[in-house]
Amino acid sequence: MRKLFVFICLLSAGLFSSDQIPAPDQKVPILLTNGTVHPVSQPSFEGSILFENGKITKMGPEILTSPETEVWDISGMHVYPGLIAAGTTIGLVEISAVRATADNAETGWLNPNVRAERAYNPDSESIPVTRSNGVLLAHVTPQGGRVSGTSAVMQLDGWTWEDCILRTPIGIHVNWPSMKIEKSSHPKPDQKKENQRDVQMKQLDDMMEDARAYLNALENNTLKGTDQRWEAMIPILRKEIPFFIHANRILQIQAAVEWCNRQDVNMILVGGGDSWRTTDLLKDNHIPVIFEHPLSTPMRRDESTDAKYGVPSMLFENGIKFCVSASAGTFEASHQRNVPYEAAMAAAYGLPRDEALKSVTLYAAEILGIDDQVGSLDVGKDATLIITDGDPLEITTHVEIAFIQGRLIDLSDRHKTLYEKYQQKYLQKQSD
Amino acid sequence: MKTPYFYLLIFVTVIFSQVNPEIGLRDRTPHVYAFINARIVVSPGNEIQQGTIVVRDQKIVEIGKNVGIPKDARILDMTGKTIYPGFIDMYVETPIAKPVVKSAYPHWNSRVHPETTPTLANLKDEDADALRKAGFTTALLVPEKGIFRGNGQLVNLGDEKNNALTGSVSSQWIAFEHGSWADETYPNSLLGTIALIRQSFFDANWYGEALNAWINYPAENPKPQTDDALQTLATHLSGNSPFVFKVDDDINALRALKLSTQFDLPPWMAGSGYEYRRIDEIAQSSPFIILPLNFPAAPDVTAEEYAIDVSLRDLRHWDIAPDNPRILDEHEISFALTSAKLKDRSRFKKNVLHSVYRGLDKDKALSSLTVIPAKQLGVHHILGTLESGKYANLLVTDGDYFDEGTKILSVWVEGHEFVQDDTGNKVSVQGAWIGALAESQWTYKFSLSETNGTYSGSVNHDTTKVSLDKLKYEPPFVFFSFQGEELPGLDKGIYRYSGINIDGNITGTLIAPDGTPSRMTLVSEVSDEEQKEQTKSDFPPKSNLKTRYPEGAFGLDGPPETYDDVIIENATIWTSSDSGILENASIWIKNGKFYKVGQNINAPRSAEIIDARGKTITPGLIDCHSHTALHAVNEGTQSITSEVRIKDVINPNDIAIYRELAGGLTMANLFHGSANAIGGQNAVVKLKWGQTADEMIYQNAPEGIKFALGENVKQSNWGDNYTTRYPQTRMGVDQIIRDGFSAAREYQQKWEEYTALSKREQKKIAPPRTDLELDALSEILKGQRLVHCHSYRQDEILNLMRIAEDFDFRIRTFQHILEGYKVADAMSKHGAGGSTFSDWWAYKFEVYDAIPYNAALMHEQGVLVSINSDSNELARRMNLEAAKAVKYGNVSKEDALKMVTLYPAQQLKIDQWVGSIEPGKDADFVIWSGDPLSVYTKCEQTWIDGMNYFDLDKDLEMRRRDAEERQTLIQKVLITPDKNGENGHEWRAPNYLEHSCGTEVGR
Repeated sequence: MRKLFVFICLLSAGLFSSDQIPAPDQKVPILLTNGTVHPVSQPSFEGSILFENGKITKMGPEILTSPETEVWDISGMHVYPGLIAAGTTIGLVEISAVRATADNAETGWLNPNVRAERAYNPDSESIPVTRSNGVLLAHVTPQGGRVSGTSAVMQLDGWTWEDCILRTPIGIHVNWPSMKIEKSSHPKPDQKKENQRDVQMKQLDDMMEDARAYLNALENNTLKGTDQRWEAMIPILRKEIPFFIHANRILQIQAAVEWCNRQDVNMILVGGGDSWRTTDLLKDNHIPVIFEHPLSTPMRRDESTDAKYGVPSMLFENGIKFCVSASAGTFEASHQRNVPYEAAMAAAYGLPRDEALKSVTLYAAEILGIDDQVGSLDVGKDATLIITDGDPLEITTHVEIAFIQGRLIDLSDRHKTLYEKYQQKYLQKQSD
Repeated sequence: MKTPYFYLLIFVTVIFSQVNPEIGLRDRTPHVYAFINARIVVSPGNEIQQGTIVVRDQKIVEIGKNVGIPKDARILDMTGKTIYPGFIDMYVETPIAKPVVKSAYPHWNSRVHPETTPTLANLKDEDADALRKAGFTTALLVPEKGIFRGNGQLVNLGDEKNNALTGSVSSQWIAFEHGSWADETYPNSLLGTIALIRQSFFDANWYGEALNAWINYPAENPKPQTDDALQTLATHLSGNSPFVFKVDDDINALRALKLSTQFDLPPWMAGSGYEYRRIDEIAQSSPFIILPLNFPAAPDVTAEEYAIDVSLRDLRHWDIAPDNPRILDEHEISFALTSAKLKDRSRFKKNVLHSVYRGLDKDKALSSLTVIPAKQLGVHHILGTLESGKYANLLVTDGDYFDEGTKILSVWVEGHEFVQDDTGNKVSVQGAWIGALAESQWTYKFSLSETNGTYSGSVNHDTTKVSLDKLKYEPPFVFFSFQGEELPGLDKGIYRYSGINIDGNITGTLIAPDGTPSRMTLVSEVSDEEQKEQTKSDFPPKSNLKTRYPEGAFGLDGPPETYDDVIIENATIWTSSDSGILENASIWIKNGKFYKVGQNINAPRSAEIIDARGKTITPGLIDCHSHTALHAVNEGTQSITSEVRIKDVINPNDIAIYRELAGGLTMANLFHGSANAIGGQNAVVKLKWGQTADEMIYQNAPEGIKFALGENVKQSNWGDNYTTRYPQTRMGVDQIIRDGFSAAREYQQKWEEYTALSKREQKKIAPPRTDLELDALSEILKGQRLVHCHSYRQDEILNLMRIAEDFDFRIRTFQHILEGYKVADAMSKHGAGGSTFSDWWAYKFEVYDAIPYNAALMHEQGVLVSINSDSNELARRMNLEAAKAVKYGNVSKEDALKMVTLYPAQQLKIDQWVGSIEPGKDADFVIWSGDPLSVYTKCEQTWIDGMNYFDLDKDLEMRRRDAEERQTLIQKVLITPDKNGENGHEWRAPNYLEHSCGTEVGR
């Protein structure tokens, strides 16, 4: 307890001296003891968790430690894996309305080769604000065009973007074309729109053919030069990474599943507004879903008031692998701290609470292919975790301490700094 | 029927070319016709069988059963035909020809041109033709563009273009037209349009007075700027002539009627087809409606994937729309039918018949096309019925108009015939025919059919069937050829047939391959009756739907049940009052108000009892900043638009209302957007789902207005094209507001000086012009209008308070106010409240310093704080937004809840009636499943004024009801043949944007 106090004081002191300082590597083993540990992958227990060199080494009711171990008494507190923002432009966008600060969407329709991590600004003010609420990992995704680029999972602390990378590439992002042909208002189908759909589908088909031709040439040593775009597509063709297909409407989802099957590539559905309408198809084809933004209004006037709240529960009940993300919109780049509340609303509307917690930790890690390292508290995984005074899905809960790979994170942020500053103003005025 | 003036009229009506010199030979062809043996419908319900009409030149000179035929008349035998009065269409949109004849002194606003009058020359020939084909002989031509569009001009649809029916009732046409968001000219929203209409009426009245004052007392008065538009309106107003509002839906209809009431105008409208949705409210004003028959085509529901995008509201409208005319009639609303809004006027008759099939009285339908428009337009003495002395505007059909197979053969306009359908002469040759070859034992069966003017057919004998080649019907000739080989009695090779259709038989010659001609007559096998049967159209089965409020999914059958007494027992009650949180307590609600709150409440036995064991009750949540339920948010064209009023544009049908009720919200403060420094007047509403806009407005709330500062006002994030509207800097924002208030002061002074004059002096002096913009600003100066201001940065916050102090008023609340925490002490001193987002930041530069501790810091400094949504999404969970004030800054849970209940009520100065659970206040409350600040808690019931407006159980029931009804309607669509694929009207409900304030400007 004493040490905890010291650390908290240190953190507070930091507020007045400088910006947040990225944490150094873990030097000594740290034991968190007397807390409630929520591994997420297994039942919660009262006890301890030990981590060394950034990795969790022991967990249990009682752990014997070596003398150099720092022992932190966290009685009354809870330990959870760090939360994951499963789809966001944090680090790519600072202020969405200021164009100069936005690096989320490259021009042109075909950009599989652009890489999110290369433009990730580790000094974005949004990053400390986000991790303050327990969100320690972010799946940072390019946007725009038909094929937006390659995403990366970033740890929300580090001196450079290279330091911050947890894993890259994660996948290539595709905004699925609108499948709708407006038939209803005209006796004949709207030719223009139909063509538009076909043109876009052909673009995607051609893209795959060209990429395969490139790979073929590469493997047969007949390549005449490097093509960045097709280079980026090779891991897709080799099924090392999936396509993240962004689609909400049922026809888009169905068409995308058919296409990915036909193209023999792995697919993850992102968005998934109508995913609950086509659960059999998703289940049969083992398509995981990153369900985006439960805290949004229903897609159609007739849908029930809680339509979006209820989708995670329906996916869960139908045995579909899913996780929950906040909106990936640029407006929301700075609001990823609210990721837990997206899952919480799903819990209020039918999803079991432990599943809701998994939907922003373990399930997200599984879908992003990083569960060997993060997503739950298990021996061998990263010590990327948070210590809270309660359920992290409850708004009134505070995140007191956070570690990323065993590194103690500075939980001050721009908001706390300004809060402190203006508290000072009113203290000054009082004493006047 | 003959009047003593009858013979006189003859001479009056014989008018040839009048003033223009004749070029070439004079045309002196006599135009005297006697229509004999006709079934004559003189007027609805008044028929003459086997009657005669005598027409001389333009007029009917005699009509009746036994009428002498003048010797000079051409005789037209109308046996089997029916003659109706020509129809009158009271709403024919007419483009104003280019170049527009500009008025000499136009109005400053290019959409205000009441002085415009269209002429028949402006009407496209194909439109005139289509109108005549549909049976119309007279049309009220209406200019197609503008807000004050111009005069309606009544004309007979003949060839003479300079033929206005002068002397008919003059009508001025008004539409709720506006530019789009990208347009920089006022108005670019419905808000501005309605304000401009109102201002123009004030201006017209003032213009008349000011002009008179100047004419009579030129020394004492300035001459008002000459303005043809205001002059026209002034004249029209003084003549008490009708203003016709073109409306697009039921809500616009109610808006139009309100304007009619305010300015004491005859309540005329060009309707929308959606009147049934608010029929009681519309009927209350006893309006006259020019009613379109724009029934929607069936939506595409063939695939479920498409069907899910069709709303129940639209499905229901498809089903109900043809009932609309009957429903109007049942509510004793007077109407004239119009072919306007049909994409194809040839559908007009079918849609009239559809309405009749749905129960509209035939005579009523006919009246609404003849007598009623004639009377409304003051031309009943010359049009509307078939009587001597009236114009010879006739509609000739081959049967009763209301029979489905009946065709319009011709219309006569002012005694001139326009043949519409010569298929009466060129009878169809469709059907089966028996052909007997002369001097042969063989007969053959021919089958001819037509699609889109092209014939095809076959010839057969027993089971042998050969198709006809090169089949042509060029009336009266019929040509075809066919292979003879397989048919008995014929040789190998191609036979050719040429026939003439005479009197229903085709007589002609079959030429064998060797050239031998044989006579062959084709005799029809099908009777006329059967043919009519075949052309019968298929109307879907009648609708049995009752109107819902509002229409569509989750609509109610009527207002929620009212109770004398309701008791809620065993509840945890967060009162938001000094009583704090009460455990295991009860609430007694009497006549919609909280009556008693606490323990030991003995209810009357008759009370409705709700056991709320384990539940938490809070006051209804209040959102101090919302754009829910609005048809327009920003009038973004001018920097000061204080004349526009949110209450003019409330959309009570917005599904967001229901969604917000489902999250415990009971009241919302509806704001103008932040596109300009001084925006529009706000409206405080209760979320009374299913009620009208007027019923939603909370009458106890004092008037208010929305101001805005910062980036939105100076168009920082609007793109590179918006860099010239003043102001472009915060320095300019300061100046424009000061300028507005200086002007308001001067304006007040002018009025004070005028009202101080004696009655006698006032007669000599024109009153100041009523300026709705300055009226609103002057109300602020007088403390009668609360100022709420969108703001972010501390400098602008502080500055607005200084402006207010300089002009001696106070800012009631700052909205968003994300840097309020930096100047909370100054706000507290000024007395301004702060209504803030819980934790939004960094979406634009001016909110880079926004912090979630804002609410707590302001609260600590004594500022009255509320948390608002500014979003249809957040407004569904304001309780959770409040919880963030607990998280960030340790506000107590009770105080946090007050930030979405009592405190917003105080900010809006309605806390005397709402905002807490206290005896005497409105019974607006929410039943929660648990702690209202917990993410796992659900809103179970929402009550307003002691009525249950949302209930989870009822909600589930409605979902089932809607799902079932949807399937029933889809089945109905699927079984309804719609051969033409459309009903002459585009399938779509009026398409309003649902404002979710996702736009930058809204925030």
